[in-house]
Amino acid sequence: MLRQSFRSELDQLDQELIRMGALVEEQIRRAVRSLTGRDVVLAEQVVLDDDRVDAMEMDIERRCLTLLALQQPLAGDLRIVSTILKIITDLERMADHAVDIAKVTLRLREELFVKPLIDIPEMARLSSSMVRLALNAYIHRSLDEALTMIRLDDDVDHLYARIFDDLQNLMRERPETVLQATHLLFVANYIERVADHATNLGEWVIYMVTGERKDLND
Amino acid sequence: MDSKAPDLAVRHLSVRYGEQVALSDVSLDLEGGQVLALIGPSGCGKSTFLRVLNRLVDRSLEVRYEGEVVLGGIRILDPDTDLVALRRAVGMVFQQPSAFPFSVFDNVAYGPRLQGIRSSHRLRSIVESSLKKAALWDEVRGKLRRPAASLSGGQQQRLCIARALAVAPRVLLLDEPTAALDPLSTTKIEELILSLRGDYTLILVTHNLQQAARISDVTAFFRQGLLVEIAPTREMFTAPKCAETEEFLTGRYE
Repeated sequence: MLRQSFRSELDQLDQELIRMGALVEEQIRRAVRSLTGRDVVLAEQVVLDDDRVDAMEMDIERRCLTLLALQQPLAGDLRIVSTILKIITDLERMADHAVDIAKVTLRLREELFVKPLIDIPEMARLSSSMVRLALNAYIHRSLDEALTMIRLDDDVDHLYARIFDDLQNLMRERPETVLQATHLLFVANYIERVADHATNLGEWVIYMVTGERKDLND
Repeated sequence: MDSKAPDLAVRHLSVRYGEQVALSDVSLDLEGGQVLALIGPSGCGKSTFLRVLNRLVDRSLEVRYEGEVVLGGIRILDPDTDLVALRRAVGMVFQQPSAFPFSVFDNVAYGPRLQGIRSSHRLRSIVESSLKKAALWDEVRGKLRRPAASLSGGQQQRLCIARALAVAPRVLLLDEPTAALDPLSTTKIEELILSLRGDYTLILVTHNLQQAARISDVTAFFRQGLLVEIAPTREMFTAPKCAETEEFLTGRYE
């Protein structure tokens, strides 16, 4: 009976985790859309909605700690609960980066972009899809899915390197773009960090499934 | 047995009670001075395993065993094993505190007296040092002549440990030593076991998985007379190798 209530609490936590992951993914997409569309209202919404992410993190964290205290899970169950605790921390940090990007939108509200943003949205699309794939890997307890997701980080890193070079060249050729280009460089860096956090999620899923900790961020 | 806490080596140990197989082909090694926890469902053979180590199992009817158990270099299953010497070297503590109906002092002095120690000075010093090792001295130093029954359950259990330590064993077998105790007494016994670690080889049967996790270096999981898995405790409780162990630890065991 005890174990049954433990299982059902774990199932509910899985649902909460998926909801939190979906919200974080949405926050990243909306933040970048606010930037490309110069949508100040949307950017402000992203900043406001960060409170929802924080509340979800605290709620899931509280429920995990209660489970640890009352059920004292061991072995695979212990790895599941600790994985959830680690995953929500990474998700919360990703959401903070979405806020960082939204704030760039607000800062650059008066600036006209010197060229259309192409690589940054592409990079954001990749990174936010990593979040969803990581959570799928968690739900499916799938080592393969985690490893496949982590490989996408290389594509993100390539895009980041390209954006870095492009913006540097732009600043050299047109010094008047330095303010704008510097902000965009930060945005690219935030997105790159999101992908690194997604890689962390994958590492925790690998730990949960195999019991082994691996560092795949490089 | 020399003064170092003895290593334990078990090879192909099988134990039968009549037709019933209690242990089947168990092999394991334990380094001296470590704490080994034996876990598993009721009837899995863990208590039989414990009782082989001081040959208490010999008292059971129709018991037969095969294989080899080497404790501190001595083959304890050999027919000519000196059981009195073995049981002096391998002390045992049971689930229910089993204080004798004597005074606190006489409980602890019981074994040394049986060994022929008569000097009251020697006996006093053995009683004091044993009670200190059992973390009971401070609570009973002024009450040594009182009946053991006047102590609390947790104190009586530590008295039993002091009594076992008084004959200078090298190994302590503990059969669910805190099953009858309240949480505070349990904590004291667990701390006591940890403090004895290193000087003694300790083997503990427990149904309390958290207790095994807290105080043992190595955990062995038994099921239906088989040793399913033995591993360093921190590995066993975070990432066991066998699916059966996983099921037992996560309560999905059928």
